[in-house]
Amino acid sequence: MKRPYLEKTGRVFYLLLVLLLACGLKAASADRPVRFDLKVELLPETATLQGKGTIVWTNRTADYIPDIQFHLYWNAFKNELSTMAREARREKMISRYRVKKDEWGWIKLISLSTDSGLDLLPSASFISPDEPHNPDDQTVLRVELPEPLAPGQAITLNLEFQARVPGNGLRTGYYRDGFFIAQWFPKPGVYEEGRGWNCHEYHLNSEFYADFADYRVEITVPSRMVVGACGEEVDKRDDPATGKTTYTYVQQNIHDFAWTASPRFVKLERWFKGQEEVRPEEYRQMAALLGLEPEEIRLPDVRMILLIEKQHQKQAERHFRALRAALKYYGLWYGPYPYRTITMVDPPFRTGSGGMEYPTLFTAGTSVILEKDVLSPEQVIIHEFGHGYWYGLVANNEFEEAWLDEGINTYSTGRVSEVAYGPGRLPLRFNGLPLNWLLKTPAVYDWQLGRLVSATVAELDPIVTDSWKFYNSMSYSLNVYYRAATCLHTLERLLGEKIWARVMRTYHMRYRFRHPKTGDFIRVVNEVSGQDLTWFFQEFFYSANNFDYAIASVEIGLKPEKYRGVFDSLPTANSAWPAAPARGKPALKQEKIYQTTITLRRLGQARPGPGYSLKLRVDFEDGSSEWREWDGQGRWARFYFEKPARVKTAVLDPEAIWLVDSNFSNNSYSKTGPGARLMSATGKLVWFLQHLLLTFSGLV
Amino acid sequence: MSLKTHLNSGINRSLSRLRLSVYIWLVLLFLALVALAPINSLLRSNLGHFYLPEKPLMPFEFNLVEVILANQQILTPYAGFLLTLMLLACLIFIFLSAGLFGRMLSPDPVVTFREFLADGARHFWKFILSLLAFLPFLAVFLILFQFLAAPLNWWSGRAVTEWPVIIASNLRLLILILLWTALKLLLDLARIIMLSGSKKVIPAYVSALLFLKHNFFGLWGLYLLLGLMVISISAFWLFLLRLFPAGTTPGVLALIIAGQVYIIFRVLARQVFIGVEYSYYLKRKGS
Repeated sequence: MKRPYLEKTGRVFYLLLVLLLACGLKAASADRPVRFDLKVELLPETATLQGKGTIVWTNRTADYIPDIQFHLYWNAFKNELSTMAREARREKMISRYRVKKDEWGWIKLISLSTDSGLDLLPSASFISPDEPHNPDDQTVLRVELPEPLAPGQAITLNLEFQARVPGNGLRTGYYRDGFFIAQWFPKPGVYEEGRGWNCHEYHLNSEFYADFADYRVEITVPSRMVVGACGEEVDKRDDPATGKTTYTYVQQNIHDFAWTASPRFVKLERWFKGQEEVRPEEYRQMAALLGLEPEEIRLPDVRMILLIEKQHQKQAERHFRALRAALKYYGLWYGPYPYRTITMVDPPFRTGSGGMEYPTLFTAGTSVILEKDVLSPEQVIIHEFGHGYWYGLVANNEFEEAWLDEGINTYSTGRVSEVAYGPGRLPLRFNGLPLNWLLKTPAVYDWQLGRLVSATVAELDPIVTDSWKFYNSMSYSLNVYYRAATCLHTLERLLGEKIWARVMRTYHMRYRFRHPKTGDFIRVVNEVSGQDLTWFFQEFFYSANNFDYAIASVEIGLKPEKYRGVFDSLPTANSAWPAAPARGKPALKQEKIYQTTITLRRLGQARPGPGYSLKLRVDFEDGSSEWREWDGQGRWARFYFEKPARVKTAVLDPEAIWLVDSNFSNNSYSKTGPGARLMSATGKLVWFLQHLLLTFSGLV
Repeated sequence: MSLKTHLNSGINRSLSRLRLSVYIWLVLLFLALVALAPINSLLRSNLGHFYLPEKPLMPFEFNLVEVILANQQILTPYAGFLLTLMLLACLIFIFLSAGLFGRMLSPDPVVTFREFLADGARHFWKFILSLLAFLPFLAVFLILFQFLAAPLNWWSGRAVTEWPVIIASNLRLLILILLWTALKLLLDLARIIMLSGSKKVIPAYVSALLFLKHNFFGLWGLYLLLGLMVISISAFWLFLLRLFPAGTTPGVLALIIAGQVYIIFRVLARQVFIGVEYSYYLKRKGS
């Protein structure tokens, strides 16, 4: 049963949230369990990093903790026995990670000691926490503490490390003197009270999970390099004697730190002005939708930094326009962007680091030749910026529930690009050259493409699956990105624009700077909508069931003028055939009455939950329409119509609520069919095949 | 002899045997229809009564893909069917080539379907042998291509921007096309000599090589010129096809007819290639 949204309660809640936010990141600082103070030098000639620094880790739980577990991610690129390499081999992608002899990536702890000088390295050992265990993996290091860390107690760790940038990098890497450096330092896992360390190995199909922390990082590089990093640059020192420059970056309340350096970057800056980018009318409309005051959703100014390769410099404004749109709509819909800077990186050529997100910094990726109506690089920019919200701020565990950031963010990307740009044409390229001027491809919205491709994996894995336990990479990506996004589009259509907007904002603001799980999202959906939608998540997120309803048949026949047999005058129960509606004038004797039977079928396992149904709209040739509803629980249902007109069209789910339906092509009936469009499609196919055959015939 | 003379001669010879293009077009149409019959049947049974509203949920092309994805189980047997058909088509095309060369080189401009088939049957075996003899040249072609592409690979491998990669990739493609045209010229010429001089396969290749030794650049130039003309006309044609309204039955019919006329044009272009090569060969073989 639906309940109206409690507007007043919502307002008070949002006001509290905004006040909390207004207190700034500083107020939350005391809650953060980690503080990093790192110094790193890049030696481009050998593609190595020399690092040292201090990590202060505080036990914020009630547990006594006997050890600390560190991610040493770059050891995934150390050899062909790492968990990531084994997974790549299983996926027949191992050649992608094979490199020349001296280009394997690795990270080595040179020293690790407590503040009191106690050497912890002797008590360190590599572990393999994930199933199936891989004793050869060296991406998780367990360090035993001399004595368990008591609740509230902090430990200061001094460390020195050396690392080689992977030449075969995934999300990180280098090519010649262009570097993108991510997951580069020993990083503690997340300690979860009562459950211990959550510190997974580096997997092929997984991203990351870490605690919010305060970072201060000094980066030393050759002076000819242009540098960008997470957070704000607070200092820059040139050393003419060595030809090196040291940059200092500081950022509070982020859970990762990445940086980049290349001599081919051009650094550009623009401002996002909350007052100018959003019209007062837009503030008013959005505030009304969210049940807030316009002042409560005002967007702050943000410094936008773009590091773009010189070859792409002409596309700078296209990059900024997309980032502006993302800052505006993510900010309006989910909450204001809380940091002062956002750095957008056009990643150094051939570093394998495009399209990746880090807090306050993301990488996009473009091409020297662009088409106007293909939304590239726009969609990548919107998507990767969006991860600043879904992963950056609402920091779910990407190892275990990747859909919470990838799925929600794919949904959000589609919505932002739809509002800001409209549909984008599908790219068509040959040998790097665009061909859209010659062959016109369809203009599509992100969700249209997403629901089409996601249908292929509906029965492979549930969306909520550990990232490394999916059937394969395809199932991982299509499930957590596109199927999850399609399910969210469906949920949006089920709940309506207003409730959905409030669900998303509540979830985002409530779990900012926290680590929510799928259960938390479900609780917010149920709470804000006032309905129990747990069934929706059980059906579409925790099960691998296909949702496919169809119009199986439409049978039309003339009602016989007479029925033969023996009839008496006793009254009968209501007929299954509804009588033709009475008209203003008595029916003519010759008027034909048509009896129509429409059979619907459920072809998949998935079903709507209690209180939900599928609608059937039937249009008749006399202009009248009839609606029916089916709860979809059975395998089939049959509907009967008796009208003085034939059926013209019948559409199951005509409002396209159930976007998760894997096949919309079986959801409708029309007497004439698509006519010219089908003929055109088959004509083109024949023509294309003739063309192929003709070319092939030239070979013999 | 001027360029114009060779072109005129080739075009006249082709136009006087226009029926050949129609015969081959019919075979192509038949093969395409057979190849697409299962997919066509699938689409018609799934979308024959599909209701396409004015504002559809998605582009109609996606409906086609959706139907294929929903019936993925047919893809493996269908691929097997296509493979078998392609193997059969391979033999059919050798037969058609034999018929085409036979009629194009015949002094008698009157073409009947019977004669076309008869020529196909008569020269079929020779054409198979000519293909087998062509294989060593193909191996040389691949080695030569690797050799010529090596500097481009080196250049793009060291690139620090995208442009060298795109340029090198397209230059590689250009080299591949140029080499292929030269090789195809050899095969065509060997077949012309084989039929016009009633020579066996190996002697025909030897004669063709000897002929090309002195006339390669002239004939290759002609071949490339014709190729450019065909590419230009094709691009223009494809551009024109975009202008047809796809939503109406007359528009779709016009599109289908224009598409089929284009296929006939492509076959006719093949005839012109043979005609021009033959004309060039006839005029130059004595010199």
